[in-house]
Amino acid sequence: MIDNNFDRRDFLKVLGWGGAAVALTGCGNTSVQDGKETVVSYVEAAAYVAPGISTYFNSTCAQCEAGCSVTGRVREGRVLKLEGNADSVINRGKMCGLGQAGVQHHYNPDRVREPLLRNGDKGETITWEKAYELIAQKLNGVSGDNIDFMTGTISGHLKVLLSNYMDSLASKNHFVYEAISPAVQRAANLKSYGVEMPRFHINKAKVVLSFGADFLGAWVSPVHFSQQYAQFRKGSDGQRGVLVQVESKMTLTGANADRWLVVKPGTEGVLALGVINALGLAGLSLPAAVAAMVKPYDKERVSQETGVSTDHLVKLAAILKERSPSLVLLGSAAEGYAHGSQNAAAINLLNQVLGNVGKTIEAAASVPFPQVAPSLGNSAALRMVNNRLADGQTKVLFTYGVNPVFTAPKETNFAANMAKAGFKVAFAHYLDETALQADLVLPLDSALEDWGTHIAEYQPDGVQISIQQPLMEKLHANTRGMGDVLLTLIKKNRAAEYAAFEDYYAYVRTALLQNKRQFADVGVDDEVFWNDLLSAGLVNVAGTSNKLVAKLASEIKLPAAVDTDAKFPLRLIPSVTASLRDGRHANQPWLQESPDPLTTIVWDSWVEIHPKKAAELGIVEGDIVEVESKNGTVKAQAYLFNGIHPDAVSIPLGRGHDAMGRYAKGFGVNPFAILDRVFDDETGELAMHETLVKISKTGKRVIVVKDEGAAGGNQHGKKIAVNIASDQVELSGEA
Amino acid sequence: MYRFIRFAILLMGLLSASSSFAADAHLEPLTTADDLGPVVEQPIEFPHNRHAKDMGINCIYCHTYSRRGNVAGIPPMQKCIGCHQNIESVRETPRIKKLFEYWDAKKAIPWKKVHDLPDFVRFNHERHIKRFVFQQNRPVQEVCGACHGDVKEMTVARRQKSLAMGWCMSCHEKEHVVVAQGGMPIGTAAYWYAMKKPAVKADGTVVAKGPNDCSSCHY
Repeated sequence: MIDNNFDRRDFLKVLGWGGAAVALTGCGNTSVQDGKETVVSYVEAAAYVAPGISTYFNSTCAQCEAGCSVTGRVREGRVLKLEGNADSVINRGKMCGLGQAGVQHHYNPDRVREPLLRNGDKGETITWEKAYELIAQKLNGVSGDNIDFMTGTISGHLKVLLSNYMDSLASKNHFVYEAISPAVQRAANLKSYGVEMPRFHINKAKVVLSFGADFLGAWVSPVHFSQQYAQFRKGSDGQRGVLVQVESKMTLTGANADRWLVVKPGTEGVLALGVINALGLAGLSLPAAVAAMVKPYDKERVSQETGVSTDHLVKLAAILKERSPSLVLLGSAAEGYAHGSQNAAAINLLNQVLGNVGKTIEAAASVPFPQVAPSLGNSAALRMVNNRLADGQTKVLFTYGVNPVFTAPKETNFAANMAKAGFKVAFAHYLDETALQADLVLPLDSALEDWGTHIAEYQPDGVQISIQQPLMEKLHANTRGMGDVLLTLIKKNRAAEYAAFEDYYAYVRTALLQNKRQFADVGVDDEVFWNDLLSAGLVNVAGTSNKLVAKLASEIKLPAAVDTDAKFPLRLIPSVTASLRDGRHANQPWLQESPDPLTTIVWDSWVEIHPKKAAELGIVEGDIVEVESKNGTVKAQAYLFNGIHPDAVSIPLGRGHDAMGRYAKGFGVNPFAILDRVFDDETGELAMHETLVKISKTGKRVIVVKDEGAAGGNQHGKKIAVNIASDQVELSGEA
Repeated sequence: MYRFIRFAILLMGLLSASSSFAADAHLEPLTTADDLGPVVEQPIEFPHNRHAKDMGINCIYCHTYSRRGNVAGIPPMQKCIGCHQNIESVRETPRIKKLFEYWDAKKAIPWKKVHDLPDFVRFNHERHIKRFVFQQNRPVQEVCGACHGDVKEMTVARRQKSLAMGWCMSCHEKEHVVVAQGGMPIGTAAYWYAMKKPAVKADGTVVAKGPNDCSSCHY
């Protein structure tokens, strides 16, 4: 939050003199550096290099797990800009803002540049040799059961190396943690369809009913779905697709919907069953078991529980019945409850009775090489690691690609539990909250400096293996690629097996060449194959497609009413924004400064409150409000927003770091910290939307820094697009 | 306040520009008057005269990027070495010894910039080289010399021309005469107008071939 302490008059004065200074210096060619600036030429230049002319290399975006293939523009040995690779079936030449900011990850001034060893409160620079020695020394005599490796989603050859390394340590404790993941949905899909992540064809659907799936913003593979969505809007046979979004807090996708239905938080499953019931009443034939199960969900009850009017419910059922095929999607908003799995089952059941399975939902190809298939993250992993740490079972902890100290609810005491481990090694790009708790911090190459292979969880067509290759020389001499580090570590235990691989590059190359026949015609020369592969930046394999099995849920237990608490009357919705997600890239200033698509707020957190609720509590925009849960409080500016249920408040995730770097530290608040420890009954996932809060004014007020005008984005009552029903128009007077 | 100052300066600039151009009633010849830049001391006193005059090496042999891209670039050191590793006779001279010191250490020579333009201007070497050398078959040294002076007489290069916008226009006006609508020449200051709109002759030919838009160079 920004306090505006200085005087408007002073501000104008400064502006005036500053402007004059700019105008005066603007007269001369001050940027001409004749005889002063150095012009450095190449010592040796590759034949294709010409100064001023860009070259392009394909690689893979590592900003999220969607596995988009990118084309990097490189000039004079510097990567300047990333674009989507047109040959990729995932992103088809497109890219999102989060991906664009990848260059700021690479050039970030706050990257860790040297291995650091804890010495009291300070990090002491040491050499890599010393670091490796230290790891060997600390692992010596420690049983594999007491060695934990915590990573984010990991796939490809890095995963193979890591599992082999864990194997060489006789440890089975590789935990894959993602703070925000569709883990509940995976479990539900496995039950309903027989696969964890099927293919969704938004483009083939005539109606999409999305229960909080923000597929244009941050859900699963947003760049891919955005393109499907564009086709869906054009329509397959001249009929424009209709999008209905059901959620308690408006997402970017919700803002694009034809009908946005606000539901009482947690009642998504009730609505889904209500729609099934209404479909049955409208004449859709339902299996007897399903009909019996949804019978209690008549429209009055559903309307009363969800807050959706009976009129809307009937209309929704009517359009779903009339336009087939449709597609029902399920997102984090429906998953984040103690009964999240039940919600998910109800929503999947709706897909099944609508006959969408096999039409708009199909089985994805399975990865032909299971050892490189992605290890998918979930938040249950955090709970396991935390319990092990608390019990003292973990003696050595490695972390890579995760920041649990930031993303774990405060109540879990993760930081304190982590201290119980004897030796903590963080493989890090930044000195983030977790790295600060570690004993040894090992600096990694950026994604644009490293080699690798990636296989995304969501595969729209066959299986795409995305190749990651360096787009430029390393910026810092003492950073290392994760693959190279793992290779060095594993060589300590299995020297003979890995002696042939000088580095991770050699490992990846050999591994891919060994499987050449899977990707290329017989008789293709190794060198030709390899160069083609690097030039394409990806390789597609057909993969085997399983047929989906449709298993109807036999029982869905939804709570009669969602709990409320007199002391904490409001529900906290920690929202996932397209650019900041779980906050791992908060130190990229482009992401901080790009306005939130719905509120246009930059560089800060906010608390979304419905205007009615705000009026009740006497809150106006810019009031600093205290949001208090059982587990803590955060203070942030209030933003009045019509797109939220009056009984809920929402704070975006990703901000509120107290470490990591100059662009992340101190901006905004971290709602992860105040989450209640409520878990999904079936999967054990952290139920992100189960936190109850109360809010109170602090008496302070700030000016909300946002792009929209003072009146805000609120178009209510402004008559911007005036309309009238055609049968209401009086035309008799017209000539 | 800011706006007024900016406006006043713009006005002053306009006045001085138009008066100075009004004074140049007669167009300069192709090679404009010299406007010497500072003497620049280089890490190695590279003798352009030995290479370009005595040996008669084509400018583009070393400055090969000039016909391929916006910037001419400084040749990579491997180009120097490519010849000099075989020229034993000068191998022990101080300058060549220094060159090989850099080469052996694989360190780039920190040459100082001699020709520089403000960051808001983009000059394209390729277009000029293509047009004058490859289309019009003019001698390379004349073409390069139009902007860089008689480099074959220099050791290390020194800026010979002002390289300011008025100087660019002095050629572009002369070579691509700009006429107003109706075929009426509107003088040496015509580019202010012509940049917005190239004139078209009665027979349909476009007279103004120079950069007709600010964004041709300022982008």
